[in-house]
Amino acid sequence: MNAPVDRVWEFMMDPDRMAPCVPGCSDVEVLGENKYRANVKVAVGPIKTSFKVSVELTEQNAPTYAASVTRGEEGGKASMLTANSELRLTSVNSDETEVYYLSEVSLVGRLGKFGLGMMKKKAKAIGEEFAESFRIQIETPANRAKVG
Amino acid sequence: MKLHHPRSIDEAVSLLGKDGEARCLAGGATLVAMMNADLLAPSGLVSLRDVETLKGISIEADGTAVIGAMTNHVTIAEATEFDSGQSVVARAAAVIGHPAIRNMGTIGGAIAHADSAADYPAALLAADAVICVAGADGAREIPAGDFFVDYLETALEEGELVTSVRIPAAPAGSVAAYEKFARVEGDFATVSVAVMLQENDGAIDDIRLAVGACAPVPIRSPDAEQILRRDGVSDTSIAAACEHLAALADPVDDFRGSGGYRLKLIPVLVARAIEAARNGGAE
Amino acid sequence: MSEKIPLSLTVNGQTHQAFVRPTDTLLHVLRDEFHLTGTKRGCNQGICGACTVMVDGKIVRGCLSIATNCTNREITTIEGIEADGNLSPIQQAFLESGAAQCGFCTPGMVMAATALARTNDKLSDDQIREGLSGNLCRCSGYIKIVDAVRSVCGGDAV
Repeated sequence: MNAPVDRVWEFMMDPDRMAPCVPGCSDVEVLGENKYRANVKVAVGPIKTSFKVSVELTEQNAPTYAASVTRGEEGGKASMLTANSELRLTSVNSDETEVYYLSEVSLVGRLGKFGLGMMKKKAKAIGEEFAESFRIQIETPANRAKVG
Repeated sequence: MKLHHPRSIDEAVSLLGKDGEARCLAGGATLVAMMNADLLAPSGLVSLRDVETLKGISIEADGTAVIGAMTNHVTIAEATEFDSGQSVVARAAAVIGHPAIRNMGTIGGAIAHADSAADYPAALLAADAVICVAGADGAREIPAGDFFVDYLETALEEGELVTSVRIPAAPAGSVAAYEKFARVEGDFATVSVAVMLQENDGAIDDIRLAVGACAPVPIRSPDAEQILRRDGVSDTSIAAACEHLAALADPVDDFRGSGGYRLKLIPVLVARAIEAARNGGAE
Repeated sequence: MSEKIPLSLTVNGQTHQAFVRPTDTLLHVLRDEFHLTGTKRGCNQGICGACTVMVDGKIVRGCLSIATNCTNREITTIEGIEADGNLSPIQQAFLESGAAQCGFCTPGMVMAATALARTNDKLSDDQIREGLSGNLCRCSGYIKIVDAVRSVCGGDAV
């Protein structure tokens, strides 16, 4: 990303800025320090559903490392997902940051049974959409000019 | 929740227009399975079983085969109307699921569902088929390559349904084969290859090669086909052609096979499919 | 919740009536409304074949058929395979070959085998296995099942 590492970190840790970049995300709530809750709508072809998701930051080392655990469930516990994620930011130069994001997702329930391989591809596609939205957000001049 | 039995395409379109959450019921082989698995709960069902104009296979004067959306897989598999190249679609129909599923399932229902591991998509892409669709704004035609958009997603707009599939006459002297690798008889493909081929004295005049179950949609590579047309069929040319196909593939890792395994299967199945086509489609 | 609607179906030549939900499967209606419990529920996804019945003489999956979409059709279940109290040739062969162990797959197998035997009376073993490929037997009783079908319609392939 064409932004300094501190800016990227600040953006990542701000749910009001992060959440709009997650496709289908709404109703973000800060539950406490390092704990958030949100609703994420997901659609795979004709199957349209939404997950109640809670995210907890389990480890932080500003501005270069964060680990989190995400738990989500569809209404009625039809499907449940767990994701263990790691974020690593490396400053390339004063205006460029390399963002490394790793997430291990497990999905059980009706969606996992139906087509786990396809769901994994969908999760990856959502991740890519998020990264692109995030990059556009953080690189717009208005945001660049903001002081942390 | 109501089950409707329209008698015409217009009536079906009108019913779909009245309820955005209603779904068409064709053979039910996929829709009802998904309802049983709590994946879908339509607010209404528009059964197409009494729309006579959606059934049957006919051949037009120029050799184009027209298959009604409500034609069952078994009817397509056993049809004698197709020319030797068009038969790629019948060969795909013959290996869908099991006998009971082939009696129930329809081509319209199958392609509207657009499972990435299903059998029709690759065959229809190889055959340059065109999908005919009807909706509130009228009828339109969508080439197979544009019809399949993503996992379980097609170019159908809300309120539209598939009415027929048109398969152009194949170049004279074409032969075809559909090669499916599955763990057991009747399973979805791990990888599948559909081929239509026209040869003259050992030189390939025309070849169409589509790979299924390796991406969200079936894939075809003009570069791969060009290599085989130019260099003929050999282990080297197949390997070179399959590199182009592999570049377009994005196979899932699932219980049917890993992505890496699927990529390995592509050249093997391409070779088998070409051989089978040359042997009259038989294994 | 769906309101129930009246439904009349012709099963094994007889009229059966019940109030059903529009989306009830044929399998559910046969077993729980018409009390024809010979047809079994296995996977409810159309894969195992235990729910195999015939509609207008062709085998289909009861679990994937919507009952209210089966009106004006001739439905045949396992209860309709015997004739005047006599076992059909396929049923007799299953009995004599010991082709039923727990018996759960048997009604579906008999339906599929009956349909298969009507296509040809000289089927190879491969053709028999292919014709029955949509029916799973968890007792792995396949050998006896193929023996039974072969005794009725097997022979050197045409």
